[in-house]
Amino acid sequence: MNVELQVIGSSLRAVAEEMGAVLIRSAFSANIKERRDCSTAIFDESGRMIAQAEHIPVHLGAMPDAVAAAMALGLSKGQVCILNDPYTGGTHLPDVTLVSRTSLGYAVSRAHHADVGGMEPASLPAFSRELYQEGLIIPPTLLTEEVEQLFVANARNPDERRGDLRAQISAHRLAERRIDELCARRGRERIAAAMDELYAYSERMVRAAIARLPDGTWSAEDVVEAVEGELTIRATIQIAGDEIYIDFAGTDAQDSYNLNCPMSVTRSACYFVVRCLTEPDLPASGGAFAPVTVTAPEGCLVHALSPAAVVAGNTETSSRIVDVLFRAIGDRAQGQGTMNNVALGNDHFTYYETIGGGQGACADADGPSGVHVAMSNTLITPVEALELSYPMRVERWHLRTGSGGAGRHRGGDGVVRELRVLEDCRLSVLAERRAHGPGGENGGEDGAPGRTLVNGEEQPAKVTKQLRAGDVVRIETPGGGGFG
Amino acid sequence: MQSTRVAILGVDVGGTFTDAVLLDGGRVRTAKVPTAPRQEESVLAAARAVGAENVVRFAHGTTIATNALLERRGARTAFVANDGFEHLLHLRRQTRAHLYRLCDEHPPPLVPLERCHGVRGRLGPDGELEPLDLSTLPDIGDADAVAVCLLFSFRDASHERAVVAELRRRHPGVHVVASHEVAPEFREYERASTTAADAYLAPVAARYLRALADAAREAGLPEPLVMLSSGGVASVDEAAAHPATILVSGPAGGVVGAGLVARRAGFEHAIAFDMGGTSTDVCLLPGGRASRVAGRAVGGLPIRLPTVDLHTVGAGGGSLVTRDAGGAIRVGPESAGAHPGPACYGAGGGATVTDANLLLGRLPAELPGGLVLDRAAAERALCDIDPEAVIEVVNAEMLRALRVVSVERGHDPRDFALVAFGGAGPLHACALAEELDIEAVLVPEAAGVLSALGLVAGDERRDRVVSYVRPLAEVGELSADGEADLRYHGQSFELTVPLQRDLAAAFHRAHEERYGHAEPEREIELVAVRTADVTPGPDISLQVTDCYKVEGPALLELAGATCWVPDGWHGETNDDGTLVLRR
Repeated sequence: MNVELQVIGSSLRAVAEEMGAVLIRSAFSANIKERRDCSTAIFDESGRMIAQAEHIPVHLGAMPDAVAAAMALGLSKGQVCILNDPYTGGTHLPDVTLVSRTSLGYAVSRAHHADVGGMEPASLPAFSRELYQEGLIIPPTLLTEEVEQLFVANARNPDERRGDLRAQISAHRLAERRIDELCARRGRERIAAAMDELYAYSERMVRAAIARLPDGTWSAEDVVEAVEGELTIRATIQIAGDEIYIDFAGTDAQDSYNLNCPMSVTRSACYFVVRCLTEPDLPASGGAFAPVTVTAPEGCLVHALSPAAVVAGNTETSSRIVDVLFRAIGDRAQGQGTMNNVALGNDHFTYYETIGGGQGACADADGPSGVHVAMSNTLITPVEALELSYPMRVERWHLRTGSGGAGRHRGGDGVVRELRVLEDCRLSVLAERRAHGPGGENGGEDGAPGRTLVNGEEQPAKVTKQLRAGDVVRIETPGGGGFG
Repeated sequence: MQSTRVAILGVDVGGTFTDAVLLDGGRVRTAKVPTAPRQEESVLAAARAVGAENVVRFAHGTTIATNALLERRGARTAFVANDGFEHLLHLRRQTRAHLYRLCDEHPPPLVPLERCHGVRGRLGPDGELEPLDLSTLPDIGDADAVAVCLLFSFRDASHERAVVAELRRRHPGVHVVASHEVAPEFREYERASTTAADAYLAPVAARYLRALADAAREAGLPEPLVMLSSGGVASVDEAAAHPATILVSGPAGGVVGAGLVARRAGFEHAIAFDMGGTSTDVCLLPGGRASRVAGRAVGGLPIRLPTVDLHTVGAGGGSLVTRDAGGAIRVGPESAGAHPGPACYGAGGGATVTDANLLLGRLPAELPGGLVLDRAAAERALCDIDPEAVIEVVNAEMLRALRVVSVERGHDPRDFALVAFGGAGPLHACALAEELDIEAVLVPEAAGVLSALGLVAGDERRDRVVSYVRPLAEVGELSADGEADLRYHGQSFELTVPLQRDLAAAFHRAHEERYGHAEPEREIELVAVRTADVTPGPDISLQVTDCYKVEGPALLELAGATCWVPDGWHGETNDDGTLVLRR
């Protein structure tokens, strides 16, 4: 890789990172400003991802589909496309994606908005059975003032939505300026050529890393805990030369509730596993995923068809896809395997957080405690920030000591988080690993399953219910599995 | 002024050398001695080497706190939080250490789990929710220091004060620190982390600083003033009480020195570029003074205290050069260190940036001190790697850092002069200036001891912060000088605006400039007010040893540094002995 290329690569990454900083620093909802549930990236003219700010894995792997969908609109420079439809470039409805045309390619931001309408506050219903119940569906649409009004009018907390959306737009304006500056300084043609080469470089690096892995074919399966029964995910991973093929034949049909993944989310989870197995330190571009082919039968849980409900697929099923693939490879134990989504809200507020747990142990190290383990890496909202802004009190927030699985290397511990609500409101919890603990590997023990309690009473993995002022929600997150 | 013969002494302790600058009746003298394991001995040795007499002011920069933190040589420390929140330091903000290396661990907290305790009692945003019950405060065992961080103490310190008083009563010999004394700002994890570092470092820092003060007294020197991370100074007692405030002490001195050199050369705005052997610090100096940030991470731990806005890159002259599987040249983060050093030192070291500079003719054949550089060893080590490419790669890293502190913060680097110092700074500065369209590069005569010069000439500055977190409209009169951290109600990150009459309008303007939009209809929240008492530093005149002009390409050997002047650059020294290079 020549030097000018390295310089341009760092410049493009810096643009993506600065976009992320502007979005986080000027946003209004705790979920973006404190928890950083957002991602940003720069794409080239042909819609290939060239540079990204490393935020949330599930966002990043699914972005190329969003850009492809936006490109169909034929954006001109400065125009911004908004979308959230999981079946045309989105992931689940709260993830609102903007794609804007720069003077050379596209800038993309994806941010999880704390409410996009639908049947429950905070738009994470446990019992949705079709996409229409999960909120406002926005197919790729040119973002105008009127569209902004339409979007804001459909959310429960319009003022916060407007603020967050404008923070997202600010990030795009910045990207347009920065790309202009880069082109003026180094020449548009050279930047374009560098983008091609950056893409090819990532592809070369990842192909070389895959070629170093032993060839072979492995399969594994595991279940997700649906509202009605359990659903099986089965995956076969084949490493052949410098390519990886992942197929989900044998996976159950799509869920009648919302554990479904559109294909973009499934690909995202597979790309995450490939990154972990090959080049974890490589500055990512879309080229890293070119050697990976993902297939799944249409209409199955991980290749759901419109209008299947998807809200938990993005967070929970995606986590399980990662678990199944790691289990097939067999080089590490399973992590908590859930994001422990907690959504609360009424007419005055909507609040959303996800809670970390135990990481599975690796062949050579213990699993860390109290962290997000796979497709998320969001921060926890500080207790003081939460209590200053929302009618809630945090009663406890500590490690769930002893919940990690024993083994030569221990799984990480989960955490305990107790929230007392100070107003009547609705609660939704979308969680997993309530019935089965995360699996140990190579003889290591399983981690402890998680628990969700309301006023001391144990709840199922997926729950939506009314709370009264003073009620206490206690989440005990799963421990990671042990290894050896 | 010559008749009074009073002198000002600055001593900066670095990893390898301890530098002294003496300002004596207007004349500047410098000295360098090796750093000894007992830092106070090197400080005194450096003072003797520079011939310190009749000293009225003695300023000191030290790495004692930083090293104790990085090497984990602090006190056995306990942590007290609210009951149910004992593990704050271990939970952090729940992000993992590496996005794709799943079992990577963060640096371990300074307090192990078994020394983390809870006490019953709770404050909320609007007052007491549960009274403090001191009978639930557990035994802290054999800890030598205790950090106390209770929720909402930045608003109401009464519970923390009571816990601290009780701990001091029970354990008179133990150092106890409360979070509201150190970093009275919201976000409990960052405040707790700062407080834990402060407690952890206090016994080590106090021992050193008291030993230094004693040694200084015996040597007839005044008590030292200690350089703070913020660029201000504090007494020995103040620094010993809160050593988290001196974690960036040394680099802060360099930044102050760079600002001084730039102002005196007639440049209003400057960027300090300090490239050493293993790392490089850059800092923006708009108006000739360092911009400050509200906190930074040190050794992976958040420290929420005012700090000169340094951006550090893990690459310098001694960084090792490798080629990865995809064919890209990588520089650092590993370094050849002082031993074995770069390949050209002939002691079996690997290829480094210094070797590439040697092959390009940018280093003399023999270093001051007599080390003859081994060209053949440098060639062998670099093998098929083009030395030009090595320099371009390391410069790309430096450029990124320079852009972070300038362009990304809304400043055009063309308005700034680049002040190059540290052993390798003046070697790389002109090429970087060209990339950023910077017109002037300043190389101070004291490029090798600029931190110590900053200590001598720096202001005496004491910072204060008052936390508000309430609507600006409800806040009464504010002091006239200082800065306010403001945000729209509902945001979590503040913009810092100088205190002025129409603060609201100034904030809307700042938001518009920074983020491209303002929202005048939204309520503005005042988060904190930062003020500083400043006693300006002394007027100094630097007497020049020799004046010269230079025309590139040329190689200049300076005291403790080498300067490469590329083709197309020329310059001459000014009245301070600073080399001013232009294209």
